[in-house]
Amino acid sequence: MTTTPSPSVAAVPSRGWCAEWTAAWNAFWFTPADPLPLAVIRIATGALLAWSSMVWLGDAQAFFGNDAWLRPEDVWRMNDQPWQWSWYFAAPVAAGGLTLVTLVAAVCLMLGLATPLAALVSFAGLVSAANRAPLNVFGLDDTLGMLLVPLVIGPSGAVLSLDALLGRGDARPGVRANIALRLLQIHLCVVYFFSGSGKLLGASWWEGTALWGALANGQYRTLDLTGLARHPLVVNALTLATLFWELGYAALVWPRLTRPLVLAMAAPVHLGIGLAMGMMEFGLAMLVANLAFVPAAAFRGLGSRMFSRPHTSERLA
Amino acid sequence: MPAPAPIRWSPAARAVASVLIVGYLAAVVLPPLAGPPPASALAGWLLQPFRPLVGALCLGHGYRFFAPDPGPGHSIRWTVERADGTRLSGSLPDRAADRPRLLYHRRFMIAEKIAPLVPPADAPAEARRDARADWLPLVEGVAGQLLARHGGVRVQLQLVEHYLPTPEELIASEQGRGDGRDTMADIVTPLGTFALAGSVQP
Repeated sequence: MTTTPSPSVAAVPSRGWCAEWTAAWNAFWFTPADPLPLAVIRIATGALLAWSSMVWLGDAQAFFGNDAWLRPEDVWRMNDQPWQWSWYFAAPVAAGGLTLVTLVAAVCLMLGLATPLAALVSFAGLVSAANRAPLNVFGLDDTLGMLLVPLVIGPSGAVLSLDALLGRGDARPGVRANIALRLLQIHLCVVYFFSGSGKLLGASWWEGTALWGALANGQYRTLDLTGLARHPLVVNALTLATLFWELGYAALVWPRLTRPLVLAMAAPVHLGIGLAMGMMEFGLAMLVANLAFVPAAAFRGLGSRMFSRPHTSERLA
Repeated sequence: MPAPAPIRWSPAARAVASVLIVGYLAAVVLPPLAGPPPASALAGWLLQPFRPLVGALCLGHGYRFFAPDPGPGHSIRWTVERADGTRLSGSLPDRAADRPRLLYHRRFMIAEKIAPLVPPADAPAEARRDARADWLPLVEGVAGQLLARHGGVRVQLQLVEHYLPTPEELIASEQGRGDGRDTMADIVTPLGTFALAGSVQP
């Protein structure tokens, strides 16, 4: 009797553990990727930063001037990092003008006009604001920073941009697009991991009552859900679902089988926080970051359904 | 989908990019690992060489949203006195005046970030005295901004911790079944009276 060796065992020589790691690393970071998801993220991030800049601009001297809520000489008390720079330290009297620079850059970023420069100036404006006014920033600003770094690195203006219309974009898949998306994906996993693991220190998250603490807080509340006081098991379920979704995100978002479920859960969590606690901009920014895990084909499919012309029979009907 | 870009990165380019990627990811991961407390000394030690990068890219975040437990909200109650003796009172943030909502939230953060630095009024005197060095400069900035906004000469500030009712307390309150005591009262901590020239002890 003759036997045929299994090809999976006999035909593939072992490359060694280090070589396999190197190959996997190269495949993960240096495989060319379609820049379309990055362009969608660019449009949404530009819009959010433009809105945030308009709000800063409405009271720029109070946030960034010499007599601001937080005086320049006291900034270190809130955020004492070396190399913590801000263009508002250099020219506090021009706070309005500098904020306007960020606003213009954000609009250019959204439109994809002079995109590399717009992304860089947008990031500089965001960091300048966050480093000058640490008393006034929150999760929205952290998230915008997370979104802007990949937009500076990758070719985010290659498609869906004025640059592309002007013939300045290269729409072909490239390595820089992949690196940018990978950085955003990993950063997002880090955010959810620490957000989830930090909650494990709190008894109310284990007891399933933490969500009540957020909903009953009158300073945050924009949607009155205190009727849930009569439904403690619902509060338990929502709290535990949020906790374990955040804890599991970094592991479950990578397998194709669980990715759609994990991403689908992001919508109710972040839109719920946005609607009920008045932080819609923060919720939207986190949802935009989740787009880094949506494949380009999904955007193309959505785009073709939205913008394709109806068939003749449909027009006649 | 367009064809892949023909130019692939050389081994040297991949090596340089890999070093930069690892450096950036270290600057992303280490700050939340090193703080806020509790955090290990090892994480703090590892973070040190990356602090310039963390500062330059504004990556010093903890990401512990609503952790460890969602707590009560805070506001700063103020009363401004003008040179002509008239008084004006308000709250920071002001839900009615601070619009759009993002502006409200940016001002709300002032009270939320100062509040953890201020011990309650019934804390030991030594603890309150020691903490004063941390929060007083921040509160002086807030006082100065309020005086400038409202044309005042003096401003009195109080930190308000808004009571966070349990579901049972809320239901009892709605049904008028309170125990007669005002158990759902906010906690008010005086921060002091501040004049244009400086501050006055509370």
